[in-house]
Amino acid sequence: MISTRFVLKRLLLLVPVLVGVASLVFSILHLSPGDPALTIAGERASEEFVRQVEESLGLNDPIWVQYGRFLADAAQFQFGESFIIQRNTPVREVLANKLPVTLELALYGQLIGISLGIPLGILSAVKQDSITDHLTRIGALAGISVPIFWSGPLLILLFAQMLGWLPTSGRISVLYNVEAIRVTGLVTVDTLLAGNWDMFVSAVRHMILPASVIGVYSMALISRMMRSSMLEVIRQDYMRTARAKGQGAKITVLKHGFRNAMIPVITVIGIQFGGLLGGAVLTETVFAIGGIGTLLVEAIKVGDYPIVQGTVLTFAFLFTLVNLGVDVTYSVLDPRIEQ
Amino acid sequence: MSQDGNNVSRRRFLTAAGTAAATAALAGCSGGGGEDTTTESGETTGEGETDQTEQTEDDGSASVLRYGRGSHSPTLDFQNSTSGEVAKVTEQLYDTLINFEPGQSTLTQGLATEYSLEGQSASITLREGVTFHNGEEFTAEDFVATYRRFVDSDYEYYAGDDYVSAYGPFTLGSWIDEIQVDGDYSMTIQLTQSYAPFLRNLAMFAAAVHSLAAIEEYGTDLSSNPVGTGPFQLSNLDDANELIRLEANPDYWGDGPNVDEVVFVTIGQNSTRAQSLASGELDIIDGLGAQSSVQVENASNANLVRTEGINIGYMAFNMASREEFRDRRVRQAVSHAINTEAIVNEIYSGFATQASQPLPPNVLGHNDDIDPYPYDPEEAQRLLEEAGYGDGFSFELATFQNPRGYNPSPIQTAETVASNLGDIGIEVDINQQSFGPFLEYTAQGRHDACFLGWYTDNADPDNFMYVLLHPQVEEGELTEGQDWVSFDAEGYNTSNRSAWANREYMDLVEQGQSTYDEAERESLYNEANQIAHDEAPWVYLDYADELRGVSNRVSGFQVAAISGPYLNLVSLN
Repeated sequence: MISTRFVLKRLLLLVPVLVGVASLVFSILHLSPGDPALTIAGERASEEFVRQVEESLGLNDPIWVQYGRFLADAAQFQFGESFIIQRNTPVREVLANKLPVTLELALYGQLIGISLGIPLGILSAVKQDSITDHLTRIGALAGISVPIFWSGPLLILLFAQMLGWLPTSGRISVLYNVEAIRVTGLVTVDTLLAGNWDMFVSAVRHMILPASVIGVYSMALISRMMRSSMLEVIRQDYMRTARAKGQGAKITVLKHGFRNAMIPVITVIGIQFGGLLGGAVLTETVFAIGGIGTLLVEAIKVGDYPIVQGTVLTFAFLFTLVNLGVDVTYSVLDPRIEQ
Repeated sequence: MSQDGNNVSRRRFLTAAGTAAATAALAGCSGGGGEDTTTESGETTGEGETDQTEQTEDDGSASVLRYGRGSHSPTLDFQNSTSGEVAKVTEQLYDTLINFEPGQSTLTQGLATEYSLEGQSASITLREGVTFHNGEEFTAEDFVATYRRFVDSDYEYYAGDDYVSAYGPFTLGSWIDEIQVDGDYSMTIQLTQSYAPFLRNLAMFAAAVHSLAAIEEYGTDLSSNPVGTGPFQLSNLDDANELIRLEANPDYWGDGPNVDEVVFVTIGQNSTRAQSLASGELDIIDGLGAQSSVQVENASNANLVRTEGINIGYMAFNMASREEFRDRRVRQAVSHAINTEAIVNEIYSGFATQASQPLPPNVLGHNDDIDPYPYDPEEAQRLLEEAGYGDGFSFELATFQNPRGYNPSPIQTAETVASNLGDIGIEVDINQQSFGPFLEYTAQGRHDACFLGWYTDNADPDNFMYVLLHPQVEEGELTEGQDWVSFDAEGYNTSNRSAWANREYMDLVEQGQSTYDEAERESLYNEANQIAHDEAPWVYLDYADELRGVSNRVSGFQVAAISGPYLNLVSLN
């Protein structure tokens, strides 16, 4: 069983990780060229106006004062107000808006990846070197190799332009006011909660292409990992023992093999999901789903420091949380790990 | 057994997936190569989508105009940002005292019915019976409160140094001495000096009018609670999905609106935006590059609409940093050696015009008699030799990396310049930076030469000639017999990236700034443009076109090079 001590120990480890990430982001931003006051003020601003902006944002203070202020604020999950992207809006609010967008995409993408990847991986291992195995492996390789910026537009061209089955971009038809029924920020959930079937269908139709693009990539990685891990497990003594006891092949694989083979797969799923929470930037860009990834890229591009800092730290926080989840899952699958 | 069953279904699945992938690949090939395929596909989906919309309209639901663009509005307050994305939406929500004629650069009545400029004072009569979206009546007090909120730090409702945009001083603050209100519908604005562009500044989006009651109620929260007098009012701001939903203002005083709702949709990628227009999911799109313009041209349910823009793209010589550039013959030689015609036609795909002078066409004072420098390497070589640089020299060309409207392919343009100049023995080192750091670097005068450009604020010649090429320093900072000045000079206007300080030119544009007679102004600027052409402080590259993709179901839409979009005049068929 999972001990509270184990989880607490892991949670405590989060602190140095996050302080490290915060310091790194802060120094990279302040070492890189470009004066944010000048960016905010724009090309029309006089020298005097730029100085005024600098003063009002505390950008004139010594660097260690700014750093101290940043750490103190970050500890309370305050990152100030956006400079440019959403002028004078608290970063917390911007992130609260964007996080569900990314979360929803990541969840569905990963769901597709897991539900296809695991069975395909097991099948491939059990039927090693059969035609099924070869096809699965070719499929997996193709899934990893095909870049999203190529497959995305192609899928749009086929399903949206040529066949007209699915919409091109966005999260829901722009004719629907999804903000009015916002509860969780996940449109597929909110529309269901509101009981509006048409809106729900629109949300699902919009989700299909981007989630599939992410899902295929995830599936590829998961099935490859599942296959190699399962192949190793299948050759273990306990598997042979189970078969020798007279247990059926299917039960042996699913009951004894599966649980043990899952450990490396869980790692991959964890890392991947963590990565997706940081934003599937390419997918978001191609399908015009403005999530946290697009936000970060845009913020870096225009020099919106508070957004960059807030987003990277949130990302680091979520990533470590997901990894904590992975560790906990390990200890459930194999209690020896906790020791 | 059951495993076998699974096996078969997986195989079937993979076969199906493979077929789908192959189909997609084939579709990609034919779509890219054959114009017919794209047209046909656009037709099919376009019609389907239109039917759907019509169905909803038959049901008695609202007619919705969907406007697609590249970025979401960072704010809905015109005093909070200089961004053009902000202006697109606030132009629908708010009114200015004076308007630009839709699609033109001439002025017309707005919230003011009469306006005139004489000496250092502007007399303005306001329109009566106009109400804000909150039901309050519009009076001169609203304008005064709006102005003070923007620039007066002593005002109770001043929006704050970290809130107001640079347009505060740029359009109003630097020029207005005081505003005298005479009753509810009349006011006199005293200026700090004679300033011809002033009425045009009042037509800029940043000079729109807030409601006094709303200022008092919301303070800086006006950025998400706009209260204007415009043809549309905010119905919903959805930052999560980057959508802005507006509804018609039934009490609007002017023309229109002719649709019930407008939705601003953000699609960052140009090609996806163009595809959304072609598949009927959007009605109007902007921010088109050369490639997506072709996509729109090929779509059967939409048209590419273009008009000459009021902007300029140029390469500035930094005369303060390089001695070679202080010789006019060298600057002329470089102007002759760069094949701007090829740049405009090939790199910018013909969606721009070759430039000849600082002022674009359609602005008062553009000199029609001036032709662009012809591409002539031999003449360039001759001039270089005459100047004593026959063996060539080398310089750094600073450029931004991201496309800008007036320079859609900066790196490619820089490479062409380098190759053209290589032909006459001048070696060019390209220094590419992202836009923010680039602006800072060049504003400090650290470049040898740099690319840059300008989109007009108010379509006044002063907005190009004075703002971009006048040093704006005190007389004492200038050196007799020298036509350049250091970037370090007190009060230097860093928008002048050339450090150019030509007395004759400066006199002309100063006169132009304080002359109110249009014909006189025109001749002053004609002359100033001739000097700027001959002296060549810039290599004049291009004036970029304004491009929009417009669905066939839209009528009454006009591409505006200044102000707009005028969505109140648009209707849906």
